[in-house]
Amino acid sequence: MDGPTFRLQVFLRNLSFFRPKGNPNLARINRRRALFSLIARRITILKLALFIAGYVWMLSIPSTRLDRGVYFDENALQPGQVNTYWNWKEVHDADHFLEELETLRDSNATSEQRSQYIMREFLKIGLSASTQNYEFTGLHNDINGTNTYAILSSPRVSGAEATVISASWISRMDEGNGTLNLRGVATVLALSRYVKQYSLWARDIIFIISDGYMEGMQAWLSEYHGVTQSNIRAQRLDLSSGVIWTALNIDYPGHSLSHLGIFHEGLNGRLPNQDLLNSFQHISRRTGVSVVLYDHKDEPELRWLPESIRTHPEIKTYAAQARNLWRHVGYQASGRGSGVHGLFHQYRIDAFTMFAVPSAGPHGFHSLGRVIESTMRTTNNLLERLHASFFFYVLTSFDRFVKIGNYLPSAILISVAMMFGGLQVWVDAAWTQRLQEKPQTEGPARWIRRRRPVLEVVFTMLGTHLFGAATFSFMSSRRYQSLSSAPFFLCLAVYLLPLVLPTLLRSHSNNSDPPSRALVLKAFNLCLSSTVISIITVLNFSLAACLAVALGIPLSIASPSSNQAIRIANYSFYVVLGFGWVLLEETTKQMIWNWDVLGVWLLPFLCIVYFPLTLQAALVCII
Amino acid sequence: MRLLSLSFSLFTFILLLSLSQSHASSQHTNNWAVLVCSSRYWFNYRHMANALGMYRTVKRLGIPDSNIILMLADDAACNERNRFAGSVYANPGRHLDLYGENIEVDYRGYEVTVENFLRLLTGRLPPSFPRSKRLLTDSSSNIFIYLTGHGGNEFLKFQDNEEVSAHDIADAFHQMYEGGRYNEIFFMVDTCQANSMYSKFYSPGILATGSSVVGENSYSHENDYDIGVAVIDSYTHYVLEYMEKVNKTSRLSMADLFTSYDVPKIGSHPGVRSDLFDRPLGPEHPMNEYGLGRGWTVEGGGEWVGREMEAEKRGRGLREALITDFFGGVVEVDVDGEGESVLQLFEDLECPPVFKEPTPPPIKMYSPPPPTPVSSTSLFDEYPFLRPSLAFVILGALFAFVFSGVISGRS
Repeated sequence: MDGPTFRLQVFLRNLSFFRPKGNPNLARINRRRALFSLIARRITILKLALFIAGYVWMLSIPSTRLDRGVYFDENALQPGQVNTYWNWKEVHDADHFLEELETLRDSNATSEQRSQYIMREFLKIGLSASTQNYEFTGLHNDINGTNTYAILSSPRVSGAEATVISASWISRMDEGNGTLNLRGVATVLALSRYVKQYSLWARDIIFIISDGYMEGMQAWLSEYHGVTQSNIRAQRLDLSSGVIWTALNIDYPGHSLSHLGIFHEGLNGRLPNQDLLNSFQHISRRTGVSVVLYDHKDEPELRWLPESIRTHPEIKTYAAQARNLWRHVGYQASGRGSGVHGLFHQYRIDAFTMFAVPSAGPHGFHSLGRVIESTMRTTNNLLERLHASFFFYVLTSFDRFVKIGNYLPSAILISVAMMFGGLQVWVDAAWTQRLQEKPQTEGPARWIRRRRPVLEVVFTMLGTHLFGAATFSFMSSRRYQSLSSAPFFLCLAVYLLPLVLPTLLRSHSNNSDPPSRALVLKAFNLCLSSTVISIITVLNFSLAACLAVALGIPLSIASPSSNQAIRIANYSFYVVLGFGWVLLEETTKQMIWNWDVLGVWLLPFLCIVYFPLTLQAALVCII
Repeated sequence: MRLLSLSFSLFTFILLLSLSQSHASSQHTNNWAVLVCSSRYWFNYRHMANALGMYRTVKRLGIPDSNIILMLADDAACNERNRFAGSVYANPGRHLDLYGENIEVDYRGYEVTVENFLRLLTGRLPPSFPRSKRLLTDSSSNIFIYLTGHGGNEFLKFQDNEEVSAHDIADAFHQMYEGGRYNEIFFMVDTCQANSMYSKFYSPGILATGSSVVGENSYSHENDYDIGVAVIDSYTHYVLEYMEKVNKTSRLSMADLFTSYDVPKIGSHPGVRSDLFDRPLGPEHPMNEYGLGRGWTVEGGGEWVGREMEAEKRGRGLREALITDFFGGVVEVDVDGEGESVLQLFEDLECPPVFKEPTPPPIKMYSPPPPTPVSSTSLFDEYPFLRPSLAFVILGALFAFVFSGVISGRS
């Protein structure tokens, strides 16, 4: 007999020895059932493990184990490979512009006068320039102003594409609290005169001095892209150019700078392509200006930690990166972004703000101009929109980042844990222990199936979301603004809700028993929350992480109680968790402003999705 | 009388022997060059500069524009980002404008495709194509083919959307061989993993060299910070720098070129393939050193396919391959820019004055060293029909002499 064939046959015979006897299909079904029961039996441990893994993962995002150094992906960029010729003459120009801007400021010039001055200067340089008046109607009808812009047509090609260099009149200092960005404006003016000399620009350059902090640029951009925002009444733009690919926003509020800060978060959690930021930080450091993320130029102080731990390099790095991450989560989750650049992202324009961190020195117009010139040359090298590098990333430092695969699972794990929990509750809701008629009978408890009231629970959930929508429409109305006690009325309404809702439910369905209803509601609530978190992770990771923290464990432990006091305490907890933010007047005001002026969807999301989810958990506790 | 006839026949025999021996070695009557820059876009400026640098060199050494096919996939000179419009430089400091005033780009922009390149080589071009876009070679043409661009293992990227594979080029060369379109080819390629590009050749008469071994990148040499991009690739830079030492009469062999490869400077390990090539690459001394010494980390010497055949080739007594066999011209040329030495361009003006002198006027001499002191073989190179006709005449005279002697002896 042939050797290998014989051996194969023996092997197969041995293999069949391990195979179960009987019908293979049946065996498969049994195997699957065994697997399911294995998972089902250990579902609590599994859930717990997923929760712990998720939260631990979230905490370890700032560690150096998960991030890596940044790198350039786009070959065309060629950052930092040019000589820059911005020099003291240009610095003198900038100083001159600054002087005149300061005169304007001191004479309390109106937006109109300012923009006229800036436009005249642009025209003197030889650029085509124009102004744009805008005003907001509706809720915030006190906002108006005048933007000024100029276009340098690309000297040697048709201007099918454009780059924007912008400065807003108000700096992002203290989140646009009113510090003027005079030096930023002066830099843009001097820059426009400077770059006019060169004929190597491969695309149009648009210089924009936007009025106000965010609102002016919002008006300009929506008009440029022909997007009608119903509450803006803006003048048509006289001059037009091509598709804008990149935008640099310059913010220089102090009188000198020590570092250049990167601010990159955009509206609704959008981020610019990482190549742009990488090129900038590379160029800036080559030019000799230190770069920081945000304005974190000092190391975080950890006074409360003992000396030996505080000075440990790993701990120090973790603390610094955690602070950056915390700031990032704040900007991204709020949906507001971290500055004027954020408005560009909604039109698929990669933009960031170069923030001149105020300090006594050593840098000024000279260094800043060089960095901007070199960055402009780099963006000028682009052949197509930035597409190669990452759009999903978390910067932990200006030169380190966490890839999507290293941060996304943290929220997803929690979401999966919630989904398992929801499915478990859904299964539990179908069974009830039969009341034992003969207590003396020994043996395992008897389980019977029961009806799950799906439809009425779905209607309850729909009701909570409708209630959320009503809250939202009230909050975004003029009445809410005028009524200072409105938040309290809202909270009162939420508190009164359970008095109405359960009675409604009860009156409709006397036959279904409350425990099953609470379980089904909890199951649906968990599954819906899990789905919401999973979806939000790719839209706005920071928001998803916040949701995972806020909803993950609280929603999973919601359960009805027989004790009236505990029930009320539970209910209050969930209401505060889901609706407490309404009482923070400043935050609410800011959110309403963001929604109304910039179209940030955090407010509607909180009202229509987040708050109803917690309300459902609250209802689980009392029905 | 008998003695005289004997001595004459002996003399003629020696003459014929010498002629036939030189006939067995490389015989080419014209030189061609195909220079291809296959990549486009501004940041690939250096590839344009590579090809233009090579163009300048072959033109300087005597191949006329009519025999150079220059393919440039993009127009870096007129790119809107070029601060020095209309110029291409291959060195920081911009001493020499390679684009200059006298340049003929035969295939430009989107004409540079794999199809056009292969059609050019094989001669399968539509009748509408002008002579300037055709490789009008014959079985006595020596062709220098230079490719540069972005490549990988056995492929070279053309434009941004297609590749030519090593097999494609090998098959095209074989078609050329079958069709009698070349005498010898010198194939040079500067790209990442360049040596893989010549690995598939199977037609005789091809000498090949590349800038880097498989799995290795080829690097750019230097940036010009005013142009804002890298201006030349390292391998090409050092080849061009070496070529500046060569003039039309120089006797430097291919071995001299190959042994000039300096791995630490180039940054990659160039390779040579000579197994398909009949002639030795040069005298024994330098070529045996190839791939050894400083920087060559490769075990047993740098990549040289055909190393073991070299001694045998040398034993056959064939004429060794000279650089001017491929870079020089054997036809009437008007030479451009002769007086300007380009070494200054590469050596930061610190070149020895000897290179500043104008190179001697082009001598129409292409003489392999004769084994016997027979003069004026250059005349044969000039007039290729002379050799067979002379041989015929002499042979006829000999026969006539011998037979007349026989007849006279009988009578």
